[in-house]
Amino acid sequence: MAEIAIAGRTYPPVTFQIDRERAAAFAKAIGADPAAGVPPTFAAVYSLGVTAPQLFGDEEAAVDFARLLHAEQEFTWSRHPRPDETVTSQGRVASDVGRRGMRFVTFETDTTDGAGLPLCRSKALFVIRS
Amino acid sequence: MTQRSVTFTREQIAEYAEASGDYNPIHLDDDFARTVGLPGIIAHGLLQMGLMATVAADAAGGPHRLRRLYCRFAGMVVPGDTVTFTAEPAGPGRLELRAVNQRGEPVLTKSIAEVD
Repeated sequence: MAEIAIAGRTYPPVTFQIDRERAAAFAKAIGADPAAGVPPTFAAVYSLGVTAPQLFGDEEAAVDFARLLHAEQEFTWSRHPRPDETVTSQGRVASDVGRRGMRFVTFETDTTDGAGLPLCRSKALFVIRS
Repeated sequence: MTQRSVTFTREQIAEYAEASGDYNPIHLDDDFARTVGLPGIIAHGLLQMGLMATVAADAAGGPHRLRRLYCRFAGMVVPGDTVTFTAEPAGPGRLELRAVNQRGEPVLTKSIAEVD
């Protein structure tokens, strides 16, 4: 497998508005109360969900989406966003290593609010099988 | 101890795909999933984590008390599997999280929540 190790690569920040109805639909899909505000793991959408497509769409990164398994996920919140809030997320490849014929990519995303203050950090470990 | 059992369905996995925007065909298309060596479609790890988070939130006294959530996706979940999600206090501000399928096999391991 001749791929470029992409550790340290940073993607441009992406702005995203947390749509109230979409957050409620997400709550319903995980069996949470849609009236209880933005579900914490909606970070899968407003944080990881807006930056991961940049990684998957990066031809040089050559991450084969179909052979990718999500092995670990961590979300750390400074605070939880409110419905209709606009947030900004930036992704970076924290590490990219090959081991036993598999590739392990750690992808971090920092999400901030309109004032630039931290909301959430996402840390995903993706394993790409060969 | 706070606990919730969920039997996964195709409809639920499809609903999560739509709600999250994660349309990876390994979650939606059996034939495609088999071409990449899976038994058929599998549930999103983040769907498992979302369900786990609701149990952690109940144990913590509300979703917005969650400060950190970590899950290791240790086993595949397929439609028809029943997974029992458990959150148990493990020291101040800390919950130990577990998810086990109907055969007693762990699907989330080493998982924890930190709460206010």
